[in-house]
Amino acid sequence: MEQLIEQLKAQIIEALNFEDMTPADINTDAPLFGEGLGLDSIDALELIMLMDREYGIKLADPKAGKAIFQSVRTMAEYIQANRTK
Amino acid sequence: MRIAVTGIGVVSAIGMNCAETLQSLLDERSGIGAMRYLRSVHTDLPVGEVPHSDADLKALAGVPADEPMPRTSLLGIIAAREALQQAGLNDQMANNLAFISGTTVGGMDLTEQHWHDYTKGKSTNTIRLHEAGESTNAIARHIGSFSFIATPSTACSSALNAIMLGANMLRTGQAKAALVGGAESLSMFHLNGFNTLMILDHRPCRPFDAGRNGLNLGEGAGYLLIEPEEEAIARGATVLGYIGGYANTCDAFHQTASSADGEGAYLAMRGALQMAELQPADIDYINAHGTATPNNDLSESAALLRLFGDTLPAVSSTKAFTGHTTSASGGIEAVICMLAMRHGFVPANLNWSNTAEGLIRPVTHTEYKPLRHVLCNAFGFGGNESSLVLSTEGIDLPIAEHLVEPAAVCTADIADDTEVSTYISAAEGRRMTPQTRRIAVAARRVMTESGITMPDAIVCATQWGCMLQSMRFLQDMLATDEQQLKPTPFIQSTHNTIASLIAIMTANHGYNSTYAQGRQSLACAMEDIRSQMSLGLIRTALVLEFDEQVEVWDNVLALIGDRTQAVARATLFANKN
Repeated sequence: MEQLIEQLKAQIIEALNFEDMTPADINTDAPLFGEGLGLDSIDALELIMLMDREYGIKLADPKAGKAIFQSVRTMAEYIQANRTK
Repeated sequence: MRIAVTGIGVVSAIGMNCAETLQSLLDERSGIGAMRYLRSVHTDLPVGEVPHSDADLKALAGVPADEPMPRTSLLGIIAAREALQQAGLNDQMANNLAFISGTTVGGMDLTEQHWHDYTKGKSTNTIRLHEAGESTNAIARHIGSFSFIATPSTACSSALNAIMLGANMLRTGQAKAALVGGAESLSMFHLNGFNTLMILDHRPCRPFDAGRNGLNLGEGAGYLLIEPEEEAIARGATVLGYIGGYANTCDAFHQTASSADGEGAYLAMRGALQMAELQPADIDYINAHGTATPNNDLSESAALLRLFGDTLPAVSSTKAFTGHTTSASGGIEAVICMLAMRHGFVPANLNWSNTAEGLIRPVTHTEYKPLRHVLCNAFGFGGNESSLVLSTEGIDLPIAEHLVEPAAVCTADIADDTEVSTYISAAEGRRMTPQTRRIAVAARRVMTESGITMPDAIVCATQWGCMLQSMRFLQDMLATDEQQLKPTPFIQSTHNTIASLIAIMTANHGYNSTYAQGRQSLACAMEDIRSQMSLGLIRTALVLEFDEQVEVWDNVLALIGDRTQAVARATLFANKN
């Protein structure tokens, strides 16, 4: 799990163009949207695409992302349980 | 001056001309269905396709089979010719006739079809047609001669912005008549782009319905021929209706999402009514933008309910007939409004069954009743919000007493990244390309140095638009067989990305537009602000000149001995009178 979390942080930084950040800068349990990283609806779409591309998880409903993307940890847990690759 | 509409022309999935379009509207016959001509793997997505191949359209448009021509231009020729013919314009009029046609796709359909040839150094006679302005020039070459040609490119509000510039040019005497509207074909590029945004419905779209689940893309073209009433009567033309008022504002909220309270939409509709000196209760019908995305319809409803309150007139979105025809939508829907006024009916909002909290309740079946004043909305990416009043009776709009030459107050030309951290925060710059950061620096610097931090207008001039993101998306799309594409390059591929980003960064709700007319883009932007300053609509304007050098596109342009010229220049203009 910890390995997945670290890998996911690096993928988020790359996908969302956080050029000056390192995985250590992201708090695993901090909210991704609003406070914390301050992500928006475009980022949510990028994260849905990231899960598809890297883990073979397809979300048909963008609204479903809300619960999954609460924090890096909730996202990693969802990936662990649903990944197809 | 009373601005008369003396010609209308339209092409879309529900008809190749006004008569067919009228019949489809009255019969409540939608044009949305399975794709037949668009080349895409996403065949499960319904579209509002014009039911003819490019070859058939060439024959209908009178274009030689071997002449390279974007589908956008073919649709444009057919609709524009209908408007000109109805207006009965003769050659003398052509002396001072403006052609203003909005598009975003331009010749992207040809670029995606021929890309592999381009990369092998073949097929060079379609390359230049990629440029939005060149697709407009291609229409112009086939329908007449024009004293002025411009291509507003503000995504889905482009055609309404074209109508506004045309009306302003009549009021300043810069044109005697104007053919105004927009054209847009379907493309693999924007079908995939909207798909990455997860806002395409796999079923026919259901505007304003509780269960709506996104839009269907459509294609077509729509134009009005407008001229001063006096001139129209003098030459014996039939007046079909009038331009009553218009306004464009920026929601200044987000690149793709509309604000929850629909601030920009509210301001645009209110501005259009104010120019027409009408009260909300005077409006008999509203042709809503109504794309059927969860976000648009809720935000537009909020704006409508705020402005109209208890006097909300009949409202419908006709996108369940035509699909969302993006840059052409304002032109097509303005023609639909003209047909509705001429024939006394409210078009149906098809596929509606249930309401929900916060949504307006549209008219679900054709209602026959006389319409005096109607409002037509078109909203685009970056919160570019436009609203137009059309009327059966003449409405006097002030003319310019004299022409104002905008005076440059402050200018900044940015060629490197030394000032980026001074003017742009890491959060603001996160999604920007390097050249976008430079134009943002230029804009912030001239606003800071001049003290004009909230210009009345932000207008961008660009030859090629946002090519780095466009080329990224195009290449990814072709390399992956349209799978697993990232949304950000698409969102930032539209020509109006720059002007809207600056408005969002500075919370500027003022006028916002972008011109993509090749090397004439800056001249078009200047004509726009000159007209508006002369009419007293604006006093200050931020003009942005933007182009970025992209190696992969320069390699293509090298085949025709051309190259892109990078520029990131911002200039603040003021009315010094």
